[in-house]
Amino acid sequence: MKKTGLLKLFFIPLMALAMIWPHSSQAADPVKVGVVLPVTGKFAKFGEIEKLSFEMAQEEINAKGGVNGRPLHFLIEDTTSKPDVGRSAAEKLISMDRVVMLGGGYSSSVTAAVAGVAINKSFPFLVNTGSADIITKPTAHTPSGRKASKLKKGLKEETDAGKIADIKKKITKLEARANKEVGRIMPRFRIFRLNPPVSEYASGLESFLADVVKPKSVAILHENSLFGTKGAAAFEKSAKKLGIQVLLKESYDSGAVDFKPLLAKVKQADPELIYMVSYVLDASLLMSQSMELRMNPKLFVGGGAGFTMPEFMSNTGKAGEKVISATLWHESLPLPGAREYFDKFKAAYDRDTEYHGAEAYAAAYVIADVLKRAKSFSKEDITASLAATDMMTVFGPVKFTSYDGKINQNKLETYVVQWQDGALKMIWPKDLANAPYAYPVNWLEERK
Amino acid sequence: MDRSTQIALGVLGLLACFPLVVENDYYLHLLILAFMWVVIGTAWNLIAGYTGQVSFGDAAFFGMGAYTAGLLEYHMGISAWWGVPLAGVTATLLALPFGWICFRLRGAYFALATLALNEVMRHTATIWEDFTDGMVGIMILQTFESKLPYYYIVLGLAVVTIVIIELVMKSKWGYYFLSIREDQDTAESIGINTTTYKMISLTIAAALTGIAGGFYMNYMGFIDPEVVFSLHDISIMAILVGIVGGVGTVYGPAVGAFVMVVVQELFRTGGFGVVTSLAESSGSEILTTFALYMTKAHVLGFGILVVVVIRYLPNGIVGDWDRITALWRRGQQS
Amino acid sequence: MDLFLQTLIAGLLKGGLYALIGTGMTLIMGVMGIINLAHGQLMMVAMYLTYSAYALLGLDPYLSLFISMPVIFILGMLIQKYLLNPLVHTETILPENQVLMTVGIGMVLTEVMRFIFTSDYKSVKTAYSNATYFIGEISFSVPLMINFLIAIGVTLLLFWFLIKTDMGRSIRATAQDKEAAALMGVNPERTTYITFGLGAALVAAAGTLLVPIFYLYPDIGGPFTRRAFVICILGGLGSTVGAIFGGVTLGLVEAFAATYIAMEFEEMAGLVIFIMVLLFLPGGFKRLTGV
Repeated sequence: MKKTGLLKLFFIPLMALAMIWPHSSQAADPVKVGVVLPVTGKFAKFGEIEKLSFEMAQEEINAKGGVNGRPLHFLIEDTTSKPDVGRSAAEKLISMDRVVMLGGGYSSSVTAAVAGVAINKSFPFLVNTGSADIITKPTAHTPSGRKASKLKKGLKEETDAGKIADIKKKITKLEARANKEVGRIMPRFRIFRLNPPVSEYASGLESFLADVVKPKSVAILHENSLFGTKGAAAFEKSAKKLGIQVLLKESYDSGAVDFKPLLAKVKQADPELIYMVSYVLDASLLMSQSMELRMNPKLFVGGGAGFTMPEFMSNTGKAGEKVISATLWHESLPLPGAREYFDKFKAAYDRDTEYHGAEAYAAAYVIADVLKRAKSFSKEDITASLAATDMMTVFGPVKFTSYDGKINQNKLETYVVQWQDGALKMIWPKDLANAPYAYPVNWLEERK
Repeated sequence: MDRSTQIALGVLGLLACFPLVVENDYYLHLLILAFMWVVIGTAWNLIAGYTGQVSFGDAAFFGMGAYTAGLLEYHMGISAWWGVPLAGVTATLLALPFGWICFRLRGAYFALATLALNEVMRHTATIWEDFTDGMVGIMILQTFESKLPYYYIVLGLAVVTIVIIELVMKSKWGYYFLSIREDQDTAESIGINTTTYKMISLTIAAALTGIAGGFYMNYMGFIDPEVVFSLHDISIMAILVGIVGGVGTVYGPAVGAFVMVVVQELFRTGGFGVVTSLAESSGSEILTTFALYMTKAHVLGFGILVVVVIRYLPNGIVGDWDRITALWRRGQQS
Repeated sequence: MDLFLQTLIAGLLKGGLYALIGTGMTLIMGVMGIINLAHGQLMMVAMYLTYSAYALLGLDPYLSLFISMPVIFILGMLIQKYLLNPLVHTETILPENQVLMTVGIGMVLTEVMRFIFTSDYKSVKTAYSNATYFIGEISFSVPLMINFLIAIGVTLLLFWFLIKTDMGRSIRATAQDKEAAALMGVNPERTTYITFGLGAALVAAAGTLLVPIFYLYPDIGGPFTRRAFVICILGGLGSTVGAIFGGVTLGLVEAFAATYIAMEFEEMAGLVIFIMVLLFLPGGFKRLTGV
C-alpha cells in the first residue's frame, strides 16, 4: 500500500502533464500567436489594458478576413509580472501551443527573460512595451560590449586628453570584438521592438526645453526600477547636452509613504526644473506633497509612465494641474485610427486607455500584417517578413532599422503633453499640438 | 536499502530517462525549476527542519549565489558556470558572520534576523549600482541552446544535495543537529557546542542555496535584485516547499518542490489549459468563469494550501503520509 | 535649519503611526510568543474596509475607525481561535508552526483582497488630504497631525485598558509568566483571543489613518510587516513602551536617512539600526528602561 501510494504521489505531476498531450497535438485551423502579458501581479493594470487592446484588434482583424482567410488567434499567457514565470509562459507557448511567433512583453525584466527564450530558440518576438535598451542591443549581451559601455561611462569623468584618447582606442577595439562575439548569436537574434527604448522617451522633450523653457538647473527624481533608473540616466544625458546643471539625482523605492524629506531637500537646492520618472501613485504623492511644501520651480516634468495615466489626475487634483510629461502617444495625434481606437476602447470597456494600449493595438496589426506577407509560417519566413515591415499604425509608422548598436528597432518621435483643466493636452511639437502650452506657471497661484 | 531509498532510486531512474522519451521543452523547463527547488527546499530543511532554526531569508543566500555567477561574467568575462561552485563559497562567506551574530541569541531573533538579512541584501544590490547595475539587472546569454545540459546539471545538483543531507544526518553532526532542535539546553548541558553546530548547519544550507542561485543565473540569463532577493518568491517559497513536503524528512522537500511547481503552473495556466479549452469548446458560462477565477487565484490557492497543510498535516505530505493513507483507507471502507 | 526641522517633523509624524503598528505586534509577541507575520496584511484589510466604507457609503476615513477596529478585532480573534490556538496542541517538529501559519494567513488575506479589488491602486481623496499649516517655512500636514493625535489617544486607551481592567491585567500577567497566570485563574485561551484581537485592532487603526494620505493595493502589507518587526526588535520583544520608542525612532531614522544620505537608503537605514541593536543591545530599549 505504502509503496504504490508513494509512487502515485510522484506520478501525479507526470500524469497531469500527460493529460495535455492530445490537447496540444491537435492541428488547429487558426493561426496562433503567443502573447506574454502580466495579467496578474503588480503590473496587472497595464497588462489588462494591453490584453483588451489585443483582443479588440483580434476581433477587428478576423472580421476583415483574418490572415489570408485563416482566423488570427492571440494566445495571451499570464506572466504574473515575474521573469521566471514569463519564461515558463514563453516555453509553453512555443513548445506546447506551437505558436508561430511571440508578441507582448510588458516590463523590462520579464521581457528580457522571454527574449532569452526567443534567442535560444531562434524564435521571432515582437516586443511592444519592454523598454530596456538591452533588449534590442545584442552587443550589450557580450562581455566585451559590456566592458566597452563601462569604459564609456568612465570616459565622461575623465579630463586628461591623453587618457581620453587611450580609452577611446580601447573602446573601439572592444566594440569590434563585441561585434564579432555578437556574430555568434546574430543568426538566432530575431527580436524586434515596436516601442522606442527608454533612453529615447524624453527626446521630444529636449526641443521643448531648449526652445521654450531654457532652464539652467534640474533635480532628477526617479523610481528605483529599471525603467526609472534608465529614464533618469537618459535625461541626465539630455540635460548635459542642453547645458542644464544637474543639482540632484535621487532614487526612491516605489511605495514610499513620505516624500517630504526628499522634496524638502530638493526645495533647498532650488532647481528650475524638477524631472520625475515614476509610476502613477508615486507620481501623485510627489506632486501633492510638493504642493504641501509650497514648491515653486519653473516646471514640474514627468518622464511618461505614471504622469500620463488618467488616475494621475484623479489622485492629485489641483496639484497635478499644468504638470508636463513626455509621452509616446496621444489620441489627438494625426495618425490614422488613433482617435477611433481611443473612442472604441472607451465605449467597449468603459475605461480610458493610453499609450500602452495603443502599443498593444498597433502590435496586433503589425503581427497580422507580418503574417499576411510571410511566405510561410516558418520562423525564418516570419522573421524576413518582420524585417520588411513598413506600415502605418495607430501608434505611428512602423519600420525596423538598426542604429546606435540597436537592431530591429522602430524609431519613433516622442511628444510632450500637459494637464490642462483636468485633461491631458498635446502641446509639443508645435505643429501637432492640440492646445497651446501653458508656461510660465506660478505653482503657488495655480494650487491655491 | 530501505523502501523509501528504493522508491527514490526508481523515481530518479524515471527522471533521468524522461528527456530521452519526452522531447518537450516546456516540461523540461518545469522539471528544471522543480529540481532547483528540490535543492533550495532540501537546504532549508537542514537548518529549519533538522536543526530547528527557521530561516525566513533564504533569498539572501540564493541571491548572493546568483549575483556571484552573474557578476563574475559581467565584470571579468569569466563564464558564469564557474560562478556555480564559487556561489557556494560566497554564500558561505555571507552565512558565517551572520550566524556568528545571530546564534548568540535565542528565540524569535534568528527568524527575524534572516528576514532582515534578506532585505539588507536586496537593498544593497539595488543601491550599489556601480557594482551590480542596480535594478537594471544583469543579463547574460545562455550557454546551451538545448535544455538537456541544464536538465542533467540541475538533476545532478538535486541528487547531490539529497545525498549530502542523508550523509550529514547519518553522521555525528546529524545527531547534534537533532538534539539542538529537540532541546537546546539539554544539548548544551551534555557538552554539545550548540552555536558551532548551528553554524555548521547554516553554512551547509547556505552553500547549497547559493549554488542553486548560481544555477538560476546560468539558466535564466537574467537577474535583478527584486527577482533573486525576493522575500515572497524565494524565501517564503522555500519555506512552503519544505512545509508542504514535510519538514525533517529527507524526501519531503523534494516532494514539496514538485507539488509547488506543478500547483503553480496548474493554477496559472487554468489546469494546463484543460479547463480553459473545455470552457471554450463547451461554451459553458460556469466553466468560463471558473477558468477565469482559477487563473486569477493562483496565489490564493497557494495560501490556502499552506494554511490547510499546517493546520491538518503539520508534518507535510511525507511526514504525515501514514495519516493520509489512514484517512484514505477509512474513506474507502465507509 | 528649515531642512532639519522639516525632516524632524516628518519623522516624528510618521513615527506616531509606526508606534501604533509596532505596539500591536509587540502585544501579540509578548503574550503568545510568536511573530505575527500577517500584521501588515491585517492593516491592509483595514485599509480596504476604510476604502469601501468611503466608496460605498461616503464615510469619512476617520469615522471608519469605528468600523475597521472592531471588524479587524473580531477577525484577529477568529484567526487566533481557529487557526493558531489549535496548533499548540498538534504534534509537530517545528515550534515555529504558528509563525509559519501567519505567513499563510497573510498570503490568503492579500489574495482575497486582490480577488475582490484587483491589483489596481486605490486611493481616497478627502478635502483635507493635502491641507497644510505653516509655521514660518515649515509645513505641517494637517491629516498627519490628526493621525498623530489619534495615535496618541489610542495608545493611552490601550494603557488604561492594560493597567486598569481585569482583562488587561490578565494580559500583562500572561505576558510575564504564562503558568503562574493560569494558576491565578486567568483563562489562557480567552486571553490569547483578546490579545490577538487587540493587536490586530491597533494595526487596523494605523491602516485607517494612513488611507487619506496614502494609497492602497493588495501587496501593501509586506513592507509594513517588516517595519513592524524592526520596531519590535528596537523596543524589545513584548514591551509596549518600547514599541512606542521603536516606532518613533524608526520614523526619525527613515526621515533623516532620506534627507541626509539619500532617499534610497530610507528602508536600509531602519535595517542597519536593527542589526546594530541586535549586535550591541540585544533585547532593545527594554533592556535600558526595564519596561
